[in-house]
Formats: sequence, structure tokens, C-alpha cells
Amino acid sequence: MTSSEVPRNVPADWLEEFEAAARRPLPLRWRYAMIHTYKPVLDDASFRSFDTMEDYRRWCEQNLPDWLGYGRL
Amino acid sequence: MGAFEYRQAEEVRDALAHHGVRYLFIGKSGAILLGFPDTTQDADLFVEKSPANGAALVAALREIGFALSEPQANEIRRGKDFVQLKNGPFDLDLVFAPDGLESFAEAWQRRIEVEGFPVCHIDDIIASKAATNRVKDRESLPRLRSFRDYWLAKHRR
Repeated sequence: MTSSEVPRNVPADWLEEFEAAARRPLPLRWRYAMIHTYKPVLDDASFRSFDTMEDYRRWCEQNLPDWLGYGRL
Repeated sequence: MGAFEYRQAEEVRDALAHHGVRYLFIGKSGAILLGFPDTTQDADLFVEKSPANGAALVAALREIGFALSEPQANEIRRGKDFVQLKNGPFDLDLVFAPDGLESFAEAWQRRIEVEGFPVCHIDDIIASKAATNRVKDRESLPRLRSFRDYWLAKHRR
């Protein structure tokens, strides 16, 4: 991307990261992106389903530790 | 369980295509397919809610190794709004009614194909994340919005 095409509102360090990612092939981008970390409660059941998204959001707020960030603002 | 490998993503893409499932990658995994540099541990699929599509999805998931009991399969066929799968080779979230998006048909019209992966448009990914209004999304949205501006500029050329 030439300098005239760069959106002015994108911080320089982020732009550098976006350009670097764009140069990587998709399999490598995927490999860098996918990590597996244990999330308490969330990872302790093999299957969950919720009738509505509201049910799911409420379950997250009532059951997950706050620090996981699933609570609503 | 290890990290979700690219070859497994290809298996998802190929199995769902083979069974004719109508779906889109959404959430951070969708953004990553579009080129957004970030990390996540699962993939979110926005699935069209219909009995036939649900049945096709169950067949595809079983083919790639998800151990779905018949009651669980029925819940997917019925199209509950949200299903979280951790009973397969990797974690997968099925979203039948994502916050912030009007309909699957509209999102499908705006979709982007990335090496055969059907992905929600970056604006739809952002709309969905913004509508959830979660703490973790508040932290990632500014960078995702900057990526949107970068991505749109790059693809206008």
C-alpha cells in the first residue's frame, strides 16, 4: 500500500502489523493466531446450547470469572 | 486438546462444502481469515437456521470428528441460537443468531471468500462484536476498526 492510500487514522504500529500480516500466507497467519489456553468453567463442559443469545450472555455473566471478559459493559 | 490447526480449518471448509452447509466464519476467527493479526482459540461459525441446513451441519461435524449424541444433534438441527462444541478435535462455536446482524441472507450477500473459506464482511464482524457489548470486545474493537479501514483501502485498489 502506498503512503497516499494509507488511512490516516490507523496508528503507525498497527499499520505495520497489518502490512506484515498481509505478507504472510494464510496457513501461517492461522498458525500464529490460534492458541489454546484453558478457560475455567467455559472449558469444563463438552457441549452447551442456549435457546437465545440473551440466555448465553446471561449464563456467561452468572458463571464465568469476570477476568475472562465475557461480561457486558 | 491442542491449538486449532490450519489443516483442521480446511477440513471444516471442505466437509461443510461437501454437505452443502450454508455458513460464514464470524468473530475473531473470521477477522483473522481476512488478515487481522490477533489471537484466538476457537472458530465461530454463523450458520443459516433451517432444518435442512442443521441436518447437513450435523453430518459434516460428525464426519470431521465431533462426538455428537443424538439429543445434541437434535439441538443443532433445531438451530438453537448458540451452541458451544468442545467435543471434537478443536473448539467450535455455532451461532445461529449473532447479535447485531439482521439476517443470514444479508450477511451472505456481503460475504468475502478467502481461499474457499466463506467469511462475513469486516463490517458485519464489527457490527456483531459491537452489539455484544462485552468487556473483551471493548478492548479489541478499536484495533479491529483500524484494520477495517486498512482492509477497505487495500481492497479498493
